[in-house]
Amino acid sequence: MSLQQTLKDLLEASLTPSPTVILFGLAFCLLAPILLHFLYSTATPYTTLPSVLLLGPPGAGKTALTTLFERGPLDLPLAKTHTSQVPSSIELSINSDDPSSASYKTNLDEAGATAKKFLLVDTPGHPKLRASSLAHLNSAEPTIKSSLVSDGGAKSKIKAVVFMVDAAALADGDALPSTAEYLYDVLLTLQKRFHSRNGSRAPASMPVLVAANKLDLFTALPAALVKSNLEAELGRIRAARSKGLLDSGVGQDDLAAGEEGDWLGGDGSEKFSFAQMMEFDVDVDVIGGSVTGDGPGAEKWWKWIGERV
Amino acid sequence: MLDTFEILTTSGVVLWSRTYAAVSPSVVNNFINDIFIEEKSSVAGAKNGASAAENPPYKHDQHTLRWTFEKELGIIFVAVYRSLLHISWIDQLVDNIRAIFVGLYRDELTKPNTTIVECLTFDQYFDQQLRELEQAGGKSDTRALKSEVLSEDTGDEPPSPPNNRGQQALRGVSPGSSPNVSRPGTPSASHLLVAKAGPGAKLSRRARKMQNTTSAPASSGDEGPARKAKAKPVKRGRKWDADGLADEDDGVQLDYSVPTLTSDSEAEPGARPGAVEEVDASTWGSQTKGKFVLRDLGDEVNSILADADAKKNAATKTDAPSGLVGTGLSAIGGLFRNVVGGKVLTKQDLDKAMKGMEEHLLKKNVAREAAIRLCEGVEKELVGVKTGSFESINARIQKAMEASLTKMLTPTSSLDLLREIDAITSPSATSLRKARPYVMSIVGVNGVGKSTNLSKICFFLLQNKYKVLIAAGDTFRSGAVEQLAVHVRNLKELTAREGGQVELYQKGYGKDAATVAKDAVAYAAQEGFNVVLIDTAGRRHNDQRLMSSLEKFAKFAQPDKILMVGEALVGTDSVAQARNFNAAFGSGRSLDGFIISKCDTVGDMVGTLVSIVHATNVPVLFVGVGQHYSDLRNFSVKWAVEKLLSSA
Repeated sequence: MSLQQTLKDLLEASLTPSPTVILFGLAFCLLAPILLHFLYSTATPYTTLPSVLLLGPPGAGKTALTTLFERGPLDLPLAKTHTSQVPSSIELSINSDDPSSASYKTNLDEAGATAKKFLLVDTPGHPKLRASSLAHLNSAEPTIKSSLVSDGGAKSKIKAVVFMVDAAALADGDALPSTAEYLYDVLLTLQKRFHSRNGSRAPASMPVLVAANKLDLFTALPAALVKSNLEAELGRIRAARSKGLLDSGVGQDDLAAGEEGDWLGGDGSEKFSFAQMMEFDVDVDVIGGSVTGDGPGAEKWWKWIGERV
Repeated sequence: MLDTFEILTTSGVVLWSRTYAAVSPSVVNNFINDIFIEEKSSVAGAKNGASAAENPPYKHDQHTLRWTFEKELGIIFVAVYRSLLHISWIDQLVDNIRAIFVGLYRDELTKPNTTIVECLTFDQYFDQQLRELEQAGGKSDTRALKSEVLSEDTGDEPPSPPNNRGQQALRGVSPGSSPNVSRPGTPSASHLLVAKAGPGAKLSRRARKMQNTTSAPASSGDEGPARKAKAKPVKRGRKWDADGLADEDDGVQLDYSVPTLTSDSEAEPGARPGAVEEVDASTWGSQTKGKFVLRDLGDEVNSILADADAKKNAATKTDAPSGLVGTGLSAIGGLFRNVVGGKVLTKQDLDKAMKGMEEHLLKKNVAREAAIRLCEGVEKELVGVKTGSFESINARIQKAMEASLTKMLTPTSSLDLLREIDAITSPSATSLRKARPYVMSIVGVNGVGKSTNLSKICFFLLQNKYKVLIAAGDTFRSGAVEQLAVHVRNLKELTAREGGQVELYQKGYGKDAATVAKDAVAYAAQEGFNVVLIDTAGRRHNDQRLMSSLEKFAKFAQPDKILMVGEALVGTDSVAQARNFNAAFGSGRSLDGFIISKCDTVGDMVGTLVSIVHATNVPVLFVGVGQHYSDLRNFSVKWAVEKLLSSA
């Protein structure tokens, strides 16, 4: 009987609009979601690694670089590669104590250094398959499924973009336009991302590395020349696109809105340079290197990636 | 014989390869591009589980490629050999290697975020298969005869250990450098074995000397870095030397060695093929031991192949429902999963939804042929895929279809017309080309809008300050030349202010169109025109007489671009139109692109785009969206895909 009485009292007390009850109720309403959030965020382990997206035309050496970085610490020979059809990601770790001096060849498990892990996402470079790679960069906070193998993997944030080019192929005329066209699309996507921000918060800056590969070959252009050639070609594409036909589906009404969209780089200057992309928080570096042969190697690229993840 | 055999993933990494003669990597790259990415062959590329015999061989240069594809794991098995040779057992080899490789390394292959698969020991299995199939020779059904072959192999004609040894050593030596030296007395040798036994004979001499001077383990030290199990010499003693002959019939124990390849516990290294090799190396002087090793590997391979066969049979049989309650439960579960997601799609699930998708595409004016191909491709892609959380089957199909359409419509190389014209008319000093006018010609069926689209392109070029010559190649239809003259007059008036120049080149009616075109190009070169646009007479695509003149036309005028105008209104016939026109220019020439006219008249039903690209693999470059000179647009894939999938 007494139990019932106490229960009844309690119920009554909780339903009377007294200050304590209101206070409790408010506190509960406010704190419960926060508590739940903490509960869940600690329960799920930190599995989403940052990722670095590897883009570039086919045959530039993207997959080769991927295998080089993966096999480097294990002292395995470089795998042969062919044209990719699907993206793949590999988990890499970099010395977080001193990213600038690290080499991709050191086995961090053996060295005992603290490792920072990230994913390197290799994408197919074939023009028919580019659309899906570019789609990753579209949103203000570019993400990518951390494990491409299984569906429903957690999203991983893209920290940097590495754009591989074949410096030896750029020397003759045919490869340059197609390479530059892809780079143009990449940079334009990143630029649009800057415009598409929602709210006042600017999207995180997106560093882009143009990795001039195959410098071990005799015919390869040095990094500086790769840079100037690409800049010139990008400028030309920019001019051609502004003069070219409109895309289908673009009506006359959209013209005004789309005005700013397709002009790569900020000012209306005649020449394009990568420095113009700074305005959109896209920081472009051109570094030479080589995956195979006894050229300059890939250490510089590794360092660049290490500083940015 | 075989030039190279490669096992590679769809992400482009070669997992394992064996090269007998160097083959340029471009051969395999082209194969991937043509079969898998551009899907040029009539059979859709990503056909899961089809045996190598069903997949059409891919020919490139002097090489023929036989291949098979394991979709679930994304692995391609490809054998490259000279087209001159006829190797009857090559399909069997590719299929068997696939079964063995998948059987052995399935666990490693499904690991996320890595491209490394430890398969150094796969050499053993490959050699065994190659030997076996070569011995089986021209027999068509080697699989059925396998046990017989095997008993022959080990009983009547035991391959002598030097030969075996030589093959192992070969792995270290570059295969291309092995010359065909004196034929050793290996009884079981066929063509390939002769070549391989060359270094074998040499090595056996060295090994014999070594056996005289040193003990057996020392000679195994000569083996090279590939011998992984060397670090555990204790194990081999226990397993192979003690009860070796008992083991060879013990199928169960051998079977269990298959999954152990990936694990690392203490007892297992003995079962690894690496250990088998080592036993061979240390005791190879004894005939019985050499025989035993070979037999054992054969058994293991056979058990793997049998497993794969059994699985395949089981897979075909499990379709039968397991009782009324079982089906009811699974149906409810299926419904639930359909809403919540996380359902593994089967063919039955997809069938109905795919039917709906096909209907939808047909409604959008996609030719049935193209719609079926698209749906089949999507279905193949989706079978066995798990839907995401809260993703219905239809949403998944929609997504897959979008990707599939995008891939199909996206051109392999994008066209930048202004750039191409610049490259031709004012070539860079280093390219050693002479400046000449850029020639474009336009073909098509009657009344699709050839002249209209030609003048639209002309307007665009004039706006960019080019000097354009329009050649009246329609010398047949009354009024065609006058029509062009009117266009030219209008364009002149419209663009005089912007600095473009346009002229008409005409020779009246009745002349040979090809000759007129040729003269026009010569005239343009002389007068310094930048671009020549050649109009042609409309022709019915299935009229052989009219179509045959196009070949001569292409030869005479040498156009840089041949564009075909197709109208968006046409339905199923678009496939035949595109095919016939694409084939009309002779063997060395095909269409460079399509202009789809009258897109404004069909609304969402832009299926013709898909039909013609499906038929020819030639990209759509421009679409006509209105009646004015300025109503020409670059083709945007995104726009087309949106229209095709919109369900209004």
